[in-house]
Amino acid sequence: MLNIFRRKKKGPNVGNRGRGILVFENTTEVIKAESLLKGNGWDIEVKGPPPEIRSGCDLVIEFPLIEELSVIRELASRNIKPVQVVPVTSVLLEPVDLLHEKEYGNYLMVRAANMKITVDKNTNLIVNISGGGCPDVPYLAEKMVNKYLDDAPQPRDVGYTLCAYALQIAYERVIKLCSV
Amino acid sequence: MCNTLDARGLSCPQPVIMTLNEINKVKKGEIIIMVDTDTAKENVSRASLAQGWTIVDTESTEGGYKITIRRED
Repeated sequence: MLNIFRRKKKGPNVGNRGRGILVFENTTEVIKAESLLKGNGWDIEVKGPPPEIRSGCDLVIEFPLIEELSVIRELASRNIKPVQVVPVTSVLLEPVDLLHEKEYGNYLMVRAANMKITVDKNTNLIVNISGGGCPDVPYLAEKMVNKYLDDAPQPRDVGYTLCAYALQIAYERVIKLCSV
Repeated sequence: MCNTLDARGLSCPQPVIMTLNEINKVKKGEIIIMVDTDTAKENVSRASLAQGWTIVDTESTEGGYKITIRRED
């Protein structure tokens, strides 16, 4: 009932001004934090860290700096603690900026960074997951291959590495292409 | 009759797609797939099993693997 009084958790759109980044120890924490904050309506984005950040993992979360205390409190409620919180001072890189699609007859392959997902275009059955170099790739393949797109778990829910993050982006692209 | 696919030198997902195309074509019998990476071996095996085929043998060869799959019904 009180939902109408809730403040919308979106910061002002002022480009990089007023934006901060949360640096985490590892990708698992980034994925957890992204899922929690996005799920609760925060205006955040996962990005590649700027060169001056030399700690943490290959991903950071960009957020409205003015909301720092609320964001930190929300993360703390799930025992997620960033190793650093700093203002954005330079252009942040997209974490996975290379999306590639290729058709092989009845099959469609989408690659995001180093991860590939291949589906049967006629049935939406996932026939292959490959790429990586991360320890959870075989697990992701085991969980997703031979499942229909509608039934397969999302990589972000079952994986915990940068590969899982890249696969999530490829997966979302496949969903978009196959739902047309 | 046994069909042999040479997927050596191909990157994923091509070995898997070659295998699936052959499976869809022959429906049953025996297929030998030659691959040259561990990843291709795992992916081809996983895809074959998912299609209801049995991995009869996986033999290490010079520079790769020879995977034999079979379906009888």
